[in-house]
Amino acid sequence: MRFATRLAAAVLGSGIAFAQAGHDDVVRVDPALKRLAGMITALGEPDAEGRIYSFRGTPIGPPASTPKEYPPGELRGWRLTFLAGQRFSAAFEVQSNTDSEITVSAADGPLNGIALRDVFVAEEIELKR
Amino acid sequence: MRRLCLVLAWLIAGLAAAQGARLPAEAVDAFHAALRNKDTAAALSLLDRGLVVFEFGGVDPTVEAYALTHLPFDMDLAVASQWKLETRRVGGEGNERWVLSTYRVTGKQADGTPIDQVTLETVIVRRTAGLFRIVHFHWSTSDAGFQARSQGQRTK
Repeated sequence: MRFATRLAAAVLGSGIAFAQAGHDDVVRVDPALKRLAGMITALGEPDAEGRIYSFRGTPIGPPASTPKEYPPGELRGWRLTFLAGQRFSAAFEVQSNTDSEITVSAADGPLNGIALRDVFVAEEIELKR
Repeated sequence: MRRLCLVLAWLIAGLAAAQGARLPAEAVDAFHAALRNKDTAAALSLLDRGLVVFEFGGVDPTVEAYALTHLPFDMDLAVASQWKLETRRVGGEGNERWVLSTYRVTGKQADGTPIDQVTLETVIVRRTAGLFRIVHFHWSTSDAGFQARSQGQRTK
């Protein structure tokens, strides 16, 4: 398992993170969405008013199905939801991404409050506002 | 000062986005609806930050662990199947309540194999600031074979 994934498991207090266990293995259904989970590795530079709209991150998840980097440009328009930290359950729209940096649309407000090691998921679905 | 205003603004925005339910059973039904609607944020907003999940013999000890590892599959299953509420009992008092439900779950797996089982659900909800959020799920099934296979996978 990749270091980032092991670290995420430790941060989340889960010893079985990403193990396909239980009913996940017994019932197999098609994914409802294309998803990529990740963990924040650095915060983006704030603008002149202190607002943050970007961060650097690394994918986390089962090694067999998790890329080592984000496919540049592919997350544009995806919904990004925080799964941990102060911004737990807050959702944003991805405006652009490189292999390791994600920038969200200003329409949903800044990302202020996010922190290193916060975990998020990007999903290929339009953010409903 | 501008930074202070900014921080206050996003804190207020966060509170405005927070959800919960006025009645215990509404929290449960809204969670299932959020999964069915592929609305991750709405589903998460119905979960208390102290959530612990027992699911077919496994444990998600934190809300973050559940959100990352099993909520996506629960959403996939909710989209691929129909959950018909068969029985429900609600109890408890004050700010701590329980909701016991059974569902007939039907649908098809990715390979076309039918899904047809009864899922048993115990939910404990806690009220804070006038809204109920879920602090515990326990899912199991009346299908002994399914339960055994689920738990068998965990021991591998």
